[in-house]
Amino acid sequence: MSQTSSSSSSSSASSPQVRPKAGSLWQKWLPYLAAVGSLLAIWQIAAFFLPAYLLPDVPDVFVRLFGSMNDAEFTDGIQSSLLRLAWGYPIACLFGAALGLIAGVSQAFAVYLRSLISILQAIPPITWVPFFVILLGFGNATIITVIVIASFFPMALSVLNATEGVNRTHLELARVLGANKLQLLTKVFAPESLPAFVTGAQVAFGNAWRSLIAAEMVGGAAIGLGYYSRWRGEVADMEGVLMSILVIGTIAAVLDLVLLEWLKRRLLRYRYVKTGGAE
Amino acid sequence: MQTIHVDHATKRFGSLEVLKQVDFRLEQGEFAAIVGPSGCGKSTVLRMIAGLDHPTEGTVSANQKPIEAPHPSRVLIFQEHALYPWRTVEKNVAFGLELAGMPKKECQNRVDALLKKVGLSGFQSYYPHQLSGGMRQRASIARALAMDPEVLLLDEPFGALDAITKITMQNELLRLWEGSGKTVLLITHDIDEAIYLADTIHVMSPRPGVIVETIRSEVPRPRNRNGADFVHLREKIMTHLDLAK
Repeated sequence: MSQTSSSSSSSSASSPQVRPKAGSLWQKWLPYLAAVGSLLAIWQIAAFFLPAYLLPDVPDVFVRLFGSMNDAEFTDGIQSSLLRLAWGYPIACLFGAALGLIAGVSQAFAVYLRSLISILQAIPPITWVPFFVILLGFGNATIITVIVIASFFPMALSVLNATEGVNRTHLELARVLGANKLQLLTKVFAPESLPAFVTGAQVAFGNAWRSLIAAEMVGGAAIGLGYYSRWRGEVADMEGVLMSILVIGTIAAVLDLVLLEWLKRRLLRYRYVKTGGAE
Repeated sequence: MQTIHVDHATKRFGSLEVLKQVDFRLEQGEFAAIVGPSGCGKSTVLRMIAGLDHPTEGTVSANQKPIEAPHPSRVLIFQEHALYPWRTVEKNVAFGLELAGMPKKECQNRVDALLKKVGLSGFQSYYPHQLSGGMRQRASIARALAMDPEVLLLDEPFGALDAITKITMQNELLRLWEGSGKTVLLITHDIDEAIYLADTIHVMSPRPGVIVETIRSEVPRPRNRNGADFVHLREKIMTHLDLAK
């Protein structure tokens, strides 16, 4: 944001630096490692009792996974899934945020949007797949449309609730200091809805990714991670199925924990500044 | 400079009468206070002068012109939640100037000077949640002063502060006001605060809000909170509020 660089230089306050304690990095990551580790452990213990064609060992699947990095069918699948996500998710976010903002200003539109959302929410996103396959054909257009339908509404709802709940004092203060309508929107409504925008983006991401994989699995496309996993299932290739699950989970977790978390801390920087110190 | 005239203002919210025939003048450069219990409608009077509310009957005018909308020459200081949490102290103080489109450089100089004046030098890049209650209210006051308003409207500005900080802030406020020529209207439920700060005290009683008495304080400054005339004034106000034994 713009408020960082110019300000810190002029400040002469000597704030006590908060140094991270030794081992705090380890402490921070331990819960994540424990979560991953316990899942893998349960899998491995079960694998001891089951034949390999029903449940392969954990190391075998990882070996297969690294081997598959040269398998064009698999990597192309990942690529096309990510491409669809890269189109569908931002469109859904922008679309949802715009609808939410408009609804925040217009009471009638808010009622309309809420009912629209409750109808769309009642329909599982993948039920749209056959409809759009007939309309748009197999492939990207269908899947991206399904992603948008599945993930715009958490964003729209989140932003709508935020604009409706904007602090009255914040608005009146701006009016007292001479703000016009546009300034109210850009200087109070927008920054005040930003936390909701971030929350909406996080929920929307989960929806987008799940509907993407599901849509690929039920036949919206002939390439992609979801498609790959279903196809491996049909030929009873358990290693391939597990490998797909691993990749699907990892991609989502990494994007969520790293990318969205980074975005959150950047946009809502003021919330993460420690009490009693500037930086 | 402006003279504010609240002319037989009555305010109703639905069937609820909040204010009844409130009538007083705010002379240029005077420090006035409205004192009364919570919910007596004193904030509504302030909001009407700020242009955020309008009387149901009667008028509220500045220099004989009815007040229709907020104007930067009359700035309201709120009790709390008044700083934007996403803005640093200096960005908060600069908010009004930014709205008016003042050049960055000029804005920065003015903000720095004001922060120094209210004792917040060096806290430019702090966020509100990093400050104590007293410091936040200092920043609020600095933001209002940045507009160089003719009239300052204070809505229980120190109500959320502890007793000791409150006294410090009252002295600060006096220091900032003295010689500035600004008109100040303070809303408070703290009788001592009103007597310590104001020259004109309007005593308000609730349901519906009416001004039961207007007292011109003759107590010389700096005022001794335990002086005989101070105590006498306190007793007088308490009698008007039916608080005396």
